[in-house]
Amino acid sequence: MQQINQNYFQLFDLSESFDLDLEKLSEEYHARQVGVHPDKFSGATEKDKLRAVQLTSYLNEAYSTLKSPIKRAAYLLTINGLNVESVSQNDLGMDLLLEQMQLRESLEALPKDESALTTLSHLKSEVGEKLNLKQNIFSREFALGELAQAKRTFHELQFLHKLLLEIESGEEQRLGY
Amino acid sequence: MALLKISEPGEKLAIPVHRFAVGIDLGTTNSLVSTSSGQDIEVLPDDAGKYLLPSVVQYSAEVDPVVGKIAISAAINDPKNTISSVKRLLGRSIDEVLTAPQFKHYDFDTQRTDSIPAIITAAGIKDSVQISADILRTLVNRAEKFLGGKLEGAVITVPAYFNDAQRQQTKDAARLIGLNVLRLLNEPTAAAVAYGLDSRDEGNVVVFDLGGGTFDVSLLSLKKGIFEVLATSGDTLLGGDDFDYLLAAWIKSEASPTTELNSMEEAELLRLANLVKHQLSDQNETSLNYLGWSGVITRAKFAKLCESLITRTISTCRRVLRDASLSVEEIDNIVLVGGSTRMPIVRDSVAEFFGKVPLTDFDPDKVVAIGAGIQADVLIGNKSVDDFLLLDVNPLSLGIETMGELVEKIIPRNTTIPAAKAQEFTTFKDGQTAMSLHVVQGERELVNDCRSLARFELRDIPPMVAGAAKIRVTFQVDADGLLSVMAEELSTGKTAEVQVKPSYGLDADSIEKMLSSSHENAKEDMEIRALREAQIEARQLIDAISSARSIDGQLLIAQEAMRIEEVVAQLQLLMEQGTSVQIHELTEELNRLSSEFASRRMDLHIGEALRGESIDEVEQ
Repeated sequence: MQQINQNYFQLFDLSESFDLDLEKLSEEYHARQVGVHPDKFSGATEKDKLRAVQLTSYLNEAYSTLKSPIKRAAYLLTINGLNVESVSQNDLGMDLLLEQMQLRESLEALPKDESALTTLSHLKSEVGEKLNLKQNIFSREFALGELAQAKRTFHELQFLHKLLLEIESGEEQRLGY
Repeated sequence: MALLKISEPGEKLAIPVHRFAVGIDLGTTNSLVSTSSGQDIEVLPDDAGKYLLPSVVQYSAEVDPVVGKIAISAAINDPKNTISSVKRLLGRSIDEVLTAPQFKHYDFDTQRTDSIPAIITAAGIKDSVQISADILRTLVNRAEKFLGGKLEGAVITVPAYFNDAQRQQTKDAARLIGLNVLRLLNEPTAAAVAYGLDSRDEGNVVVFDLGGGTFDVSLLSLKKGIFEVLATSGDTLLGGDDFDYLLAAWIKSEASPTTELNSMEEAELLRLANLVKHQLSDQNETSLNYLGWSGVITRAKFAKLCESLITRTISTCRRVLRDASLSVEEIDNIVLVGGSTRMPIVRDSVAEFFGKVPLTDFDPDKVVAIGAGIQADVLIGNKSVDDFLLLDVNPLSLGIETMGELVEKIIPRNTTIPAAKAQEFTTFKDGQTAMSLHVVQGERELVNDCRSLARFELRDIPPMVAGAAKIRVTFQVDADGLLSVMAEELSTGKTAEVQVKPSYGLDADSIEKMLSSSHENAKEDMEIRALREAQIEARQLIDAISSARSIDGQLLIAQEAMRIEEVVAQLQLLMEQGTSVQIHELTEELNRLSSEFASRRMDLHIGEALRGESIDEVEQ
């Protein structure tokens, strides 16, 4: 049975890399769930039941971390000793900040009704493409062991990711969800 | 060395004993019970051959409570002692119930302190948990009579949108009659199990559950026996009843728009509308008479009347797809649940939206009970299916109150459960020894807009300077969707634990209201959040300066002190009246003014610390 302090990659028998076989991740996750899920312990002692709940929670957290590219990137940096919570000025390029501000301003300036949906959808794919590009860069940098550079790229990813969430929430508001 | 087990010749192999377990669909209008008959799961009928047990209980001074159809007929003559729709009382506060129109004819006990709604009946005071328990008892009796033995456990279904209080009270009702709850199962998940395990389907399944008073949509991924819920959403202000209301309003406007109806006549009109609705499920048009007016209504006309309701159901489907990041084309099957999905106008719209004919192999009234029965059979150990597993999600975000009445989300909605999240908090004032934690449920950013679940206190925090104590709060949601919270101060290991036992719960209606207003108000919330954060930032700096001055006041030059006092006074005024930007800017200004003082203090203290010690000792 896996340990709660195990590294998420070791937990799923995956190599420590940004590029993941998501299909394999999901298979490994399911295979482990079958072994630890509380439903498999419905006749067990309270202590074993509690242990099952804790292990499954850990498994779920590990899976959701590795499944999401942004969380996976943060996790990779963290287990390699970098503090992703702290961002310094040097971590972010001026041109990126300016571009971000422009994108955000154009988002703010959009009309508040459905007429903005087409523009939002364009913005979404634009940011989505940038995000993909940056993810590839991050993956390369991390694989080459250029951790400081990978951390800078990660913070750029964070910006883009946040922007994408804002675009999506803008879409949802206009769709009336 | 392992011992080898050698069977005596002629010794019989142990035959696994069939253990008695049931699945229970505890519904607002009707309840059902199912069990395994060896191979299949059967929904059990009563002596008259009826599967549905109306969820109605009549209390009297002389005899045991009467549950079901007989109680319904008693309701006309004995309305105060005949309780229906008790499911709507679960997890609600007495104040909410007193103002709800559907409960206005009951006498509620307003003296209770636990604020669980309780009704004064001929058999005494009955709270929502006890009334639910009486319905459960009738179902258990039915099952035990069929099986010829005592039950060992039950799986009870709840709406996917049920909150912690509602789930807890459902479980409490079972405990009241000594029924062992193997698991609380979400209704849409139960329906998917009923379909999935039979056909061994793989792929993405949408469960569309339109009941009498609620609407749930869940999206599941089925793969090799594993049912993984990807997203769930709902509209708890929408149900089959709403179709009746619209139809009734139309009949009234056609027949006699100006007539005032009393409540008896209203009820009569609603019954007629309900009848017409059912007829339109079987035929294309129907004729009706009302107050001397006779007319005809077609299915097409009915569809037109209810267009807005249908639009809302489809909008919820879109939302779920979005939450799961899937498109319509990626959905392999649609399962219909709930009596209201019998309406052809509902079926047709769902089929049109998904571009697929929904599955209707099972009776939509029974499918949830069947799924619960399958899960009960597996959990009790009768059915050995190694790879069968349900992975469900929490329907609402869980969070904790932080400074300025803001909510820190700890477990966002649609997180797979069981889930645990730990978050670290710190003290706000120097020497603070206690901390109160307030757990809330909802999607909004301000505490007042979410639903309070529980408050608890962590005491005996060692006195330290503000920000030095580290309090780790762990939220644990189990497979039933029930929350427990644990708090620990890391430097002392001091713990406090609470099982979330709220004094009142979150009703389904307010969940929906909270969810929809969360999107509308996101921007407004952000501004309020910014203001609160600026206020907190300012307060912390002012406190820090004042505490530093009380210790090292001599390091401050008179001129500096005057200027700092001036700015502090200005800032205190701004904190009351200013915008987040203004407060932030002046806080920065104050920070600059006091930075000289701070570095002088730093020098002094480092100097004191180093005095009389060798470099080696310091490095250690």
